[in-house]
Amino acid sequence: MPRYAMVIDLTRCVGCQACTAACNKEWNVPLGFARTRVHATGVIGTFPELASGFRVAQCNQCDKPSCVAACPTGATRQSDDGIVHIDRGVCIGCGYCVEACPYDARYISPALNQADKCDFCSARLERGLQPACVATCTAHAKYFGDLEDTTGEVFHLVYDNGAKRFESREVSIGPNVFYTGRKQDVAPVLASFAPHPPRAPASREVWARVLKPLVLAGVGATFVGQAVAFFYQLATGEPDHQHKETD
Amino acid sequence: MAGEITRREFVKLTAGAGAALGGAGAAAAETPRTGWHGDERVTQLASNCEMCFWRCGILAHVADGKVVRIAGNPAHPLTRGRLCARGNAGAELLYDPDRLKYPMVRTGARGEGKFERVSWDHALDLFARRLNDIKAQYGPESVALFPHGVAATFFATLMKAFGTPNRAEPSFAQCRGARDVGYALTFGRDLGSPEPLDFEEAKLIILIGSHLGENVFTSQITAFADALSRGARLVVVDPRFSTAAAKADWWLPIRPGTDIALLLAWMNVLIEEGGYDEPYVQAYATGFPELEAHVRGCTPEWAEAITELPARQIRDTARAMADAKPAVLLHPGRHTSWYGDDAQRARAMAILTALTGSWGRKGGIFFPTAVKAGKLALPPFPQSKRGRADGAGTRFPFASEDQGLTNGLVEATLTAKPYPIKAWVVYGQNVLESIPERQKTLRAIQQLDFVAVVDVMPVEQVEYADLVLPEATYLERYDVPHIVATAKRPFVAVRQPVIEPLHESKPGWWIAKQMARRLGLDAYFPWNTPEQHLESLIAPLGISQDVLRARGAVAFDGRPYLEDRLPEDGPLFPTPSGKIELYSAALKQAGFDPLPRYTPIVDPPLGSFRLLDGRTPVHSFARTQNNALLDSLVAENELWISVAAARGLGLRDAQRVVLENQDGVRSLPVRLRVTEGIRRDCVFMAHGFGQQSRLLCRAWRRGASDTQLMTRVQVDPIMGATGMRVNFVRILPAEA
Repeated sequence: MPRYAMVIDLTRCVGCQACTAACNKEWNVPLGFARTRVHATGVIGTFPELASGFRVAQCNQCDKPSCVAACPTGATRQSDDGIVHIDRGVCIGCGYCVEACPYDARYISPALNQADKCDFCSARLERGLQPACVATCTAHAKYFGDLEDTTGEVFHLVYDNGAKRFESREVSIGPNVFYTGRKQDVAPVLASFAPHPPRAPASREVWARVLKPLVLAGVGATFVGQAVAFFYQLATGEPDHQHKETD
Repeated sequence: MAGEITRREFVKLTAGAGAALGGAGAAAAETPRTGWHGDERVTQLASNCEMCFWRCGILAHVADGKVVRIAGNPAHPLTRGRLCARGNAGAELLYDPDRLKYPMVRTGARGEGKFERVSWDHALDLFARRLNDIKAQYGPESVALFPHGVAATFFATLMKAFGTPNRAEPSFAQCRGARDVGYALTFGRDLGSPEPLDFEEAKLIILIGSHLGENVFTSQITAFADALSRGARLVVVDPRFSTAAAKADWWLPIRPGTDIALLLAWMNVLIEEGGYDEPYVQAYATGFPELEAHVRGCTPEWAEAITELPARQIRDTARAMADAKPAVLLHPGRHTSWYGDDAQRARAMAILTALTGSWGRKGGIFFPTAVKAGKLALPPFPQSKRGRADGAGTRFPFASEDQGLTNGLVEATLTAKPYPIKAWVVYGQNVLESIPERQKTLRAIQQLDFVAVVDVMPVEQVEYADLVLPEATYLERYDVPHIVATAKRPFVAVRQPVIEPLHESKPGWWIAKQMARRLGLDAYFPWNTPEQHLESLIAPLGISQDVLRARGAVAFDGRPYLEDRLPEDGPLFPTPSGKIELYSAALKQAGFDPLPRYTPIVDPPLGSFRLLDGRTPVHSFARTQNNALLDSLVAENELWISVAAARGLGLRDAQRVVLENQDGVRSLPVRLRVTEGIRRDCVFMAHGFGQQSRLLCRAWRRGASDTQLMTRVQVDPIMGATGMRVNFVRILPAEA
């Protein structure tokens, strides 16, 4: 079974955002949102001793993904190749995973009303294509491949060239996007950003995204238990068409 | 474990049912759309991009007559499947709701943007009538063409046939003209586009003001990154800590406008220390003794006082050149109209390239290999007795008469000297954003009898047009094929429509051909269909149209290096002497310095800053700011200012400010980026923002326009380039 990973060469990356644009088009990401983003460090240091660079960010398909644990519906799950998927039939758009991701790699899509994120372009992989961002990258700064393939470039960059994970003392969940390049290009980027510990969802959000739909769905039912029975009935093929949305 | 599955199933069920009750109805039963279009029935069609001038190979994914995605074409010999943000956003241009949709004639005052829709027949008849009237009264030369882009060829042919020599593209006087003239004077040929730069073999790369990375030419970025990965060293000369500067081994934050002093000091070190390529210079160059004497006093210490760069840094970088020669790639730059001595700066760069023996050598600048495409048999063009009105070839002896001087045409329109210009035909060029001294351009437009604009988008000048003709985008039309000699493997690439033109837009070739018909100039368009036109150009190359259209491009063997050249390639250095002219007798004869000299630059007055401009990687010129996807990535520009300068003015990072130039012209508000990454005597912003066209819903008044503040230019006396970095601005807090 492959274990997919990506390596980003920060010596090569010029921050042109071709990756973001290609990804947005590939996945019809709503304007203003992104599955992959380029974060500039800005200029660091004192004139003329300066440094700067770009962190190309996307879902890291972590070894121990905090989003999977945070997902209340099981919509977010990890397949054996390491890719973390969102089951479109199951995601309720509660946003817990968005808060749980230390890398801010997820967003709630207003088009889908669900969580969305990079899945290494799984649908393209199935057709033997590279992820869209890798294919378009003007600097050829992104490498995609299998960490189990000892002859592959990604294996070489990670295990022979010491490509680095973007982790901190607090956050160590095995991200599978690695960063490589000359020290002058990698160091300022890794020093400028830090993954944040998973956040608990704010109570207002919980209400808006989870409880409210549940309550609305259960209009007419006194107890949640009754609602469960009702939904079960619905799912087994006897939907009750009497119930109407009243709000 | 079992309990968990139960819980998940429970939530899964509630989620589905909740949606059903929430009014989503039937949609609840099926999986929501993933957003991916890969499952749709997609046809991939090869063409090339026009989101900028680089023309990368693209594959347009078309489903049900709609372009759903544009990706790079891996079969393109130069760009090999890579495509920048702009290229990826081509469909947002195609489907931009603000596009020009049908021909229009002006009903309000010029600049008011009021129009009424007319038919193509009406529009084309009007065009021909107005042009013929003006020709009858003032002569054909009184019509000037401002073209830009690929289909410009069709309009250039049309206007030449009409009898006017007056046409000018901003790519010359506002962009790479000074560079091309400087290199042509030295080596006998200019660089062209794409530039024949051998990043692949370079050991040392030198960028002077070129901000590769922020300025994105896809294949150059790939090659640049390859070179860095391979361990090539990098020198970046830039007052600003650019993306490229961050990757450099040496960043030289030069005092703006003093580049020639640095170049002379580099030559001084190379010659004094014997680090130049002596055998190469002896074999191929003339004028070395004059050069040696000329730079004798130009020591690094002399240059330090001028450039504010440490002499040691100048010496170190010169020695790095000596070590890496001949694999030294001194990037010739592209937008080179800076200070009015730009052709001389280009000369200095060309001379340095010769000293490192890098012209025609691995890792330097390689030779083009001509692609022997077919030529159309056209009747001879009428010769104008009055000559050009813009001064190209006369007042500016080394200006290209093929590309012309936009600013010269503006001037001629304003002054009616040497003769009146009464009509402008503008194709694919935004004269108000591309030509500096905007107030002059506006005054000139108001004096015209007739203004016709052919464009895809309602850029600002459209508001001033009497007749507006909507062109199809590059995705909806044929253009002249892209025939490229300046690649290691020269190639031909096709531009072909991937869908039918939307609205009532028409391809440039069709518009020009229709105009020709109405002006009685049919003979200059001896083809009926664009396929025939394409065939006549590619026939001698022995490639079939089918193959070309399917692959998008076909490449040939090149002869890039000195040792590859054949007699059929012509002389190595087609200068008057047949050698590299370190000393230029041609310049001397025309009354200019035969060797480049540093002319002292005027510093900004106290409290003012020199305004520098450049690019952001997701926009091209002022052309893409209305693009929905690109706008979502970079919606407006920022003004870079040094921490020290901002502190002195009491300004904070991210604050909105207004720029006021030396002539009292104020910009729109722009956000401040307070940074250590720029010298304190200058400020920087990306070009193309702060647009004034009300017809561009997204771009209108977003950010600030550098062009608006360029009310002064220093014109290069050699070739007429408008040096634009001579404008000074004060920074004022924007009113809340």
